[in-house]
Amino acid sequence: MSILNLSVIRKLVQISAFVFFVYGGLITGYYLEEKISGALPALSCAYDFQGSDLCTLIPIQHQMDHRLGETIAKGGNLLMGVMPTLITLGTFLVLFVLLNKAFCGWLCPLGTFQELLQMIGQKIGLQRQDSLSKSLVGKIRPVKWFILVVLVFGFPLLTGMGMLNHDLGDPFCKICPSRILTTLATGSTEQLHVDTANATTITLTLFADFLFGLMIALGLTLRQPFCRICPMLALHAVFRKMGLLRLIKNASPRCDRCGLCAKACPMDIHEIHTDMTSRNVTFEDCTLCGRCVEFCPDKDVLQLKYAFIPVFRADPQYFKKRKKAQTNWEKQNLITWFGNKGNKSRAESS
Amino acid sequence: MKPSNLAIMLAALMLPPSGVVAADEEQNLKNSKPAVSHGHRGAKTFHIDNLDGATITYIKPDLSSQSITPVMGKITMPVSGVDNYHALVVEKDWGDHKEVIIRYQYMFGRPSKQNPVRLTAAEKSQFEIVPHPLPREHYRYHSQQAWQFLARYQGEFVANQPLTLSTSNGSEQTLNTDQHGRVTFLIPDDFPGLIEGERNKQSAQFTISGEYQEGDTTYSTQLVADYRVNPSHWQSTEWGVLVLGIGFLAGGYLGKNLKKRDKKA
Repeated sequence: MSILNLSVIRKLVQISAFVFFVYGGLITGYYLEEKISGALPALSCAYDFQGSDLCTLIPIQHQMDHRLGETIAKGGNLLMGVMPTLITLGTFLVLFVLLNKAFCGWLCPLGTFQELLQMIGQKIGLQRQDSLSKSLVGKIRPVKWFILVVLVFGFPLLTGMGMLNHDLGDPFCKICPSRILTTLATGSTEQLHVDTANATTITLTLFADFLFGLMIALGLTLRQPFCRICPMLALHAVFRKMGLLRLIKNASPRCDRCGLCAKACPMDIHEIHTDMTSRNVTFEDCTLCGRCVEFCPDKDVLQLKYAFIPVFRADPQYFKKRKKAQTNWEKQNLITWFGNKGNKSRAESS
Repeated sequence: MKPSNLAIMLAALMLPPSGVVAADEEQNLKNSKPAVSHGHRGAKTFHIDNLDGATITYIKPDLSSQSITPVMGKITMPVSGVDNYHALVVEKDWGDHKEVIIRYQYMFGRPSKQNPVRLTAAEKSQFEIVPHPLPREHYRYHSQQAWQFLARYQGEFVANQPLTLSTSNGSEQTLNTDQHGRVTFLIPDDFPGLIEGERNKQSAQFTISGEYQEGDTTYSTQLVADYRVNPSHWQSTEWGVLVLGIGFLAGGYLGKNLKKRDKKA
């Protein structure tokens, strides 16, 4: 049986993207001017000097602080103050339109890391939290919007206006797990620290380190813990209707509402299963990973479409194979391995 | 005045504390309130004595250049309107002795879209010391960091060339370039009055100098740059690891409770 399925292809793409975004600067160049776009719709961190690109959230924070905030404070030309942010968002959009939210599900280094954590958790036999309840998911969802509005736009803007401490000029970057992850991946421990310069830096660094540890532990048993509160996901959600790649649902009678799609979703988007009216079901939390399509047993009910071209469709035959492969994959872990080994040795001794 | 004395004088007097940047930063340190403006966008001024007969060139990131005339012993690097590294080249020709001081200065402005490699690769004087690389945009030299430099004569790298790094805090070290003309200096951690755990925004200046003889002509070159206190004096990795560990334990506890809670639900 072929082991190649959408999830395997995605993992290969994710690992390649991780290597490229974390170490690709060795090829593209060291200076910021040599980075690919400077506004990548994924958490490729600017603090990683070996990275090939940087996430769009860092220029946005800097522009809020040093351009728009200062312009407002000095009573300058607002259009000039906001222009750099518009250029950054324009660059972001050019890329985003091409792949939409697949930047999260296929290319983000932090997303990949969390999926690897989950695989490690599964392989060492930790009991996985299959899906979070609807009510808990509902409570978590607004957090990403709060972080986007307050930490990415709000605090940097107020800092630029002189109303906040300068250390709050890029608060999201200060707490972002990608900053610690990508720098550690290049062998630098510089970003894993507690900064005792002042109360603000102490608070931010304590929170950042704690959040990173929390994410690692949760990631072993829970799917994509940080992605659920990531402000990049929120920024994607704003523009998701513009992306060429979409998740499409044909809510025809063929859909027997089994709920397997929602169960397969790493972001626990229950609406994929319950929404029978929308055609474009690229919901705000969707990362276009395609797992829901893989695990949909009803022909063509769920599809990944690029513009008008279906690139991957639900298929009962594929579903059967995929489910079998998943069951086999989940069976293999250290506990079952040790169990089998124990059984074997007992059988041999008896 | 003898040429060698002039070189020492020029280098010593290009100290950052007399510059506009340093003055702004010092003021920010004194004020408890945050500064509205970054203070980085203006022109940069340096005090230099004995500039008679010196040629001063200001090179922008796109390699366009302009001559600068000193005013009362001060050189001002004007606002070019674009960001990224600019170079200030002060040259003096004594006939059989040619002296040059080069300083790379990051300026803020609209994106220049120029790669700093263009500026470092460009020949600014016959014999020069080139940072390889410069600190990345928005970053600086810090104490305790190792940085690589190249010695270059007429575009060719000079092997086994002695270069001396000296700092305004009094440190000095001399190393020879390797066969590819490279040398790696560890910037000394020589700031006075540091208190562990407390942020210190002091800056000082280092100068890397060398002399190259070709026929009857001696070429003296100096690369001048600012460096700051390494943040490791107030940033603790050990505490970071500890907090990460606490977060990990909290995550394990939370994950377990989530399962129980969801099972009940």
